[in-house]
Amino acid sequence: MASQTPAVVMDNGTGYSKLGFAGNDSPSFVFPTAIATKAGAGSAAGSGPGRPPVANKPSFLAGGAGASSHLSGKRGTEDLDFFIGDEALAAANGPGYGINYPIRHGQIENWDHMERFWSNSIFKYLRVEPEDHYFLLTEPPLNPPENRENTAEIMFESFNCAGLYIAVQAVLALAASWTSSKVTDRSLTGTVIDSGDGVTHVIPVAEGYVIGSSIKSIPIAGRDITYFVQSLLRDRGEPDSSLKTAEKVKEEYCYVSPDIVKEFARYDREPDRFLKHTVTAPNGRSVSIDVGYERFLAPEIFFNPEIYSSDFLTPLPNVVDGVIQSSPIDVRRGLYKNIVLSGGSTLYKDFGRRLQRDIRHLVDARIRASEARSGGARSGGLDVAVVTHKRQRHGPWFGGSLLGQTPEFRSYCHTKAEYDEIGPSIVRRFALLGGPGSS
Amino acid sequence: MLLLDYHNVLIHSLLTERFSGSTPVSIDQIVSDFDGVTFHLSTPESKTKILISIQVKCFRELVQYGAQQVLEREYGPYIVDPEPGYDFSVLIDLENLPAEQEAKDDLIMRLALMKRNAMAAPFERAFDEFAKLSEEASRYTTESAPQGVKEGGEVMAIHYREEEAMYIKASHDRVTVIFSTVFREETDRIFGKVFLQEFVDARRRVLTLQNAPQVLFRNDPPLELAGVPGLQNVNDGTLSYVTFVLFPRHLTPQRRYENISHIQIFRDYFHYHIKASKAYIHTRMRKRTADFLQVLNRARPENEERERKTASGRTFRVQG
Repeated sequence: MASQTPAVVMDNGTGYSKLGFAGNDSPSFVFPTAIATKAGAGSAAGSGPGRPPVANKPSFLAGGAGASSHLSGKRGTEDLDFFIGDEALAAANGPGYGINYPIRHGQIENWDHMERFWSNSIFKYLRVEPEDHYFLLTEPPLNPPENRENTAEIMFESFNCAGLYIAVQAVLALAASWTSSKVTDRSLTGTVIDSGDGVTHVIPVAEGYVIGSSIKSIPIAGRDITYFVQSLLRDRGEPDSSLKTAEKVKEEYCYVSPDIVKEFARYDREPDRFLKHTVTAPNGRSVSIDVGYERFLAPEIFFNPEIYSSDFLTPLPNVVDGVIQSSPIDVRRGLYKNIVLSGGSTLYKDFGRRLQRDIRHLVDARIRASEARSGGARSGGLDVAVVTHKRQRHGPWFGGSLLGQTPEFRSYCHTKAEYDEIGPSIVRRFALLGGPGSS
Repeated sequence: MLLLDYHNVLIHSLLTERFSGSTPVSIDQIVSDFDGVTFHLSTPESKTKILISIQVKCFRELVQYGAQQVLEREYGPYIVDPEPGYDFSVLIDLENLPAEQEAKDDLIMRLALMKRNAMAAPFERAFDEFAKLSEEASRYTTESAPQGVKEGGEVMAIHYREEEAMYIKASHDRVTVIFSTVFREETDRIFGKVFLQEFVDARRRVLTLQNAPQVLFRNDPPLELAGVPGLQNVNDGTLSYVTFVLFPRHLTPQRRYENISHIQIFRDYFHYHIKASKAYIHTRMRKRTADFLQVLNRARPENEERERKTASGRTFRVQG
């Protein structure tokens, strides 16, 4: 019977969790990775509200009377009194509940909360019996193996799940790009640009293995673009410049222009490029705001960070080029040839095209310089290709869904029996899913 | 979350969104539910026509006990020929929905409860049979009742999982529902035993629970199941039987609907709570480890012997 059930694919990110079944083209549930528990919110651990800074000690050492302590004193069913996802956000607005985010910077920080978050995702939302299903979970690059072991302990010992595979998000994002018509060979070599809400990562992957030493992160991501749009709206004195409006404008109107100077000129020539956006307030009033240059200026902060930030000034194409140049020389060609976008902040129109052009300029300039230095030698040229595809938004989840439905997926998983035999250390290694040798 | 929902959350939320008049998009989703039930939501013809198919492992048995009639009653005009590989399909045309919001909500809920409704058939039949038998029995005294009335109806077996089954038997004064449960994990078995014993005991201890159905729990097949084919009599402790005895007060027409939903979800509820208690115990274990670590960190010798160096590099011990 277990051979019939689809695998469960769970991609728990810092901001959002994507849950669903392998074989589907979109996640069944996308909700915030948040859990609302009775009283004692995350702020009880001594860090302030909002986005608390990273603790320099793991949370369980930061004091026994911390956030998680209240539960163990209880004898009733208080441990079941919690909400996750959107319900958690709603509950936290009311009295009595405090909100917690168990994942910080992509890594699980609070295992108590995460265990209950998973329990609720499995039983309430996905409605599956873990005994009958294989699970595919994701992890960020450079996740410590101890975290994997903890995950396996929870999945196998609490939930008795039939089998488990933990995949790196970047590798899954590469697999998701196989749906693009531009990708001809299904290789797991490429550079992944993963831009979510909080941070943008550039991750080189060679043959399914992440080149950890070359990963670079950029502190510019979706949230910063929203702030930038908001500041532009404020400067102009629009009647509504709330963060929510800025986000709407960003999502609906923004695109990447090939050249901002020409784009400014074009806007002056063609006034119909200026748009109106109508905001309807909850009380029924609606105001109309103008949408102008921010349409192409906002995503431009990836390419010209100096217009937004004063401390981070390297454009994204240069970062990508730098990452590839710092990778081992024998994989660089493959990394240039397969630059894959993933995450919500890469969805702007022509984002890929602009990135490809800019990186190609950098590469060509370097080739020309070295040709000149070598005195007459000709280079064969270097192929730069940025892959955009339809599944970018939930790239890692979709990659998981794609690999999870393959017939050989189950043979790559560690099963409950193997776990019982060997112990948690078994999950330190996984055979490479979709790598060379598999169909 | 103490109780599990009866309906499928995903179908509910998906249809709520579709029915609210948002622009139609194509859907192709496989959705799983408890007990190996699989749904398939798709838009095969056009974006406004949603096909919902369900596959239940024991559908043939359910049909035998009248599932088709129950489903026809619930989804009458929407039923279409089952999609290949699935047992039952309904087709919803978004352009042809009930006009009122309430009727729409009702339809959404009914569709989300498709699994419950499919599984409800044997219960409904047992409850009807009970009504008939009790009426017949009221005409006799205990002694003079003919054999058929005294014994009650046949045992309906629903093999809803590979190794586990549900047995329903109607008599003239009660309906007995028996679950056979299997635990492959040793830890789970112990948890399960504690839980089931608690079900049995709680009713005795708490006065307000006197009206709840009687729960019995044993490791060998109950006598009601004598003569049921395909019953494994392995007595290695992995298989246990939970019996619910529903009395006439649970079987009144106004209570029926709720009770069917409740008893259907029993196994999932049971397993969910075993897992939730494990999670709770893990929480306490982590807390205890953290406490011990703290104690260890505090346990530093007060006067550590330190070596000191003179300027020339010779070392000496500080006394006292």
